[in-house]
Amino acid sequence: MADNGIAVSAEALVKRYGERRVVDGVDLVVPAGAIYGVLGPNGAGKTTTLRMLLGIIEPDSGKRRLLGSDAPRDVGDRVGYLPEERGLYPSMTAREAIAFMGALRGLEWRTGRARAAELLEAAGLGDAIDGKIRKLSKGMAQLVQLLGAVVHRPDLLVLDEPFSGLDPVNQERLEALIRAEQARGATILFSTHVMQHAQRLCDRLAIIARGQRRFEGTVDEARALLPQHVHYVPHRADPAIAALLPADARGDGEGWRFQLPSDGIEAVLTRLIAAGHGIAGLSIERPGLHEAFVRVVGEQEARA
Amino acid sequence: MTQLRRHLRQTLTIARRDFVATVFTPIFLLFLFAPLIMASFGAVGGMGAASASDSSAARTRLVVLLPAAAARRVLDADARWRPLLAGDSRQPRVEARTPASDPARQAAATLAAGAHGHDSVDVAAVLYGPLDRPAVLYAAGDRGGARYLAGLARDAALAERAGAAPAAARLTAVQTSAPSQGVRKATGFFAVFGIFFLTLFLSGQVAGTMAEERNNKVIEVLAAAVPLESVFLGKLVGMFGVAVLFVTFWGVVISQLGALLPGDVGDSLRTLAPAVGGGWFALLFGGYFTMAYLLLGSVFLGVGAQAATMREIQMLSLPITIIQVAMFALSSAAVSHSDSWVATFAELFPLSSPFAMAGRAASDAALWPHAAALAWQALWVAIFITVGARLFRRGVLQSGSPTPVWKRLFRRR
Repeated sequence: MADNGIAVSAEALVKRYGERRVVDGVDLVVPAGAIYGVLGPNGAGKTTTLRMLLGIIEPDSGKRRLLGSDAPRDVGDRVGYLPEERGLYPSMTAREAIAFMGALRGLEWRTGRARAAELLEAAGLGDAIDGKIRKLSKGMAQLVQLLGAVVHRPDLLVLDEPFSGLDPVNQERLEALIRAEQARGATILFSTHVMQHAQRLCDRLAIIARGQRRFEGTVDEARALLPQHVHYVPHRADPAIAALLPADARGDGEGWRFQLPSDGIEAVLTRLIAAGHGIAGLSIERPGLHEAFVRVVGEQEARA
Repeated sequence: MTQLRRHLRQTLTIARRDFVATVFTPIFLLFLFAPLIMASFGAVGGMGAASASDSSAARTRLVVLLPAAAARRVLDADARWRPLLAGDSRQPRVEARTPASDPARQAAATLAAGAHGHDSVDVAAVLYGPLDRPAVLYAAGDRGGARYLAGLARDAALAERAGAAPAAARLTAVQTSAPSQGVRKATGFFAVFGIFFLTLFLSGQVAGTMAEERNNKVIEVLAAAVPLESVFLGKLVGMFGVAVLFVTFWGVVISQLGALLPGDVGDSLRTLAPAVGGGWFALLFGGYFTMAYLLLGSVFLGVGAQAATMREIQMLSLPITIIQVAMFALSSAAVSHSDSWVATFAELFPLSSPFAMAGRAASDAALWPHAAALAWQALWVAIFITVGARLFRRGVLQSGSPTPVWKRLFRRR
């Protein structure tokens, strides 16, 4: 079981390859039952962090705890994992591949085969149940591997860049599957550098760059790192309006743009109305997770 | 579930997958019948060579130019000796011809006519002169035939002097209660060769098994779910299952064909008498074959796992074969000199230990050394698997583009 409502925790994890500190003191706390995203540009150390959490590689220093155990291997049968580099035996059928992955995690072969058929049907891959993996498309094979990661109904599902290589239809299927796993009671920990999925799915997230954790919190907390932007359109253009707006206001031909003041928009609007300028249009744009991500990791690294 | 049971289950899951993936393919039939294919090619080649050799031998003669009585004695001697000559020792047919007034000149002419193809047959050597002063003229390169003729002349001369051919000895077979040292050594060598022959074909195959996981990128799925040591052991057990299937199949085939073997072969096998007794010997042979397979297989698996491409794995096949032949040679020497330091070294050195101990079972009745040896060999299997798995983990399971350990050793700073 997860201890004190925490499914996964990491404290000051460090991993070096030669002189390079690939992971440099990362802390994580993943609440049980949450969908938790590990975000970061390519080469940020996401995969190495996940591998250390799962016990695939050992950290050079730091502590990790998985489902109440300090030894990730001891709870391996309760974990499902989709690695970044997808891999299946091409000569296996989809059903056998899923049952095999279940068997590695302690599921009976017979049960695994039965569940594999159910999962494949539910995922719309009923025609591929007894088809060889080598004959499936890349996206279908990826879905089969994902089903193999959940066939034993794990308490913790770890997905490394699960959306990469999937077309929009399969991305939607994957999002639905992740939500279904959460609804079943599983904790989902996934890494990505695609912000749309993280914004839609994550209850909490961490942003990692250059092996270090730069942010940890909810999506809203991440978005709150940046000010909101206001677009105000008066009834008629008047240069005198500038004196009533915050100092950073800039005209865009149609109206004015400025950051939402920390004390709110009400005082500004009151001044404008009192001066008789009126409000022909007003919109407040909240920055997305992408902008927050760029802000946290830096423009240059975000492009990596 | 205990850790041990979990590891066992995981190992068997990997083994099952590898066994099924190997056996249930059409290619496996080729592998299974490879000995038959090899034997067929060998038989065809052998028959061709034998046919050519027989044809050549049938056209060659050893000629005797002696008076009729003396020639008769030489032919009698040939009849006595010829059945004892087999294989390369077989000699061309002996043919008596009437001597002319100058036998030496006639002998030279006969040899020359045969050599130049003027005669209908080839002549390898010619015997002439009286039996108490025989002379043999032979074509260079046919010294064997000349010596045979000289021997026949001597035998015939002795018979002439004695007035009759010597009486043939009466042969009586007696069963001895204890096998001789020679029989035990032969049994030991048979055991060493048997294990070498089986492992030669089978254990080298595991070298490339990790390549499949690396190429298919399945390795991370396995490594996340199963300790790499279990992956390695599972692969070894899976391929050992294939080896057992192979050995069982051919064991059954050969046992059923046993009745068709020449009587001499069956008799030879029946004379093999191991010191520990037939039952124990069979058990120990199975045990040592298993250990030889696991030991060599674990080394080859660990080394092969460091190779990144099929080309690198193919390059490993030569050193693998050299290692196996070296272990065979070392163990054969141990059987020949069972009390020497070579024998002790071969029994202790992990890779040769199963071969040498199987040989020891043939010559030494004590059983406890075998229990100790099997435990010692199992320890080394565990060591090889652990080291191989660690090297593999360091070399492969890291982010970026991992470099195998052996390549890092030679990398320029």
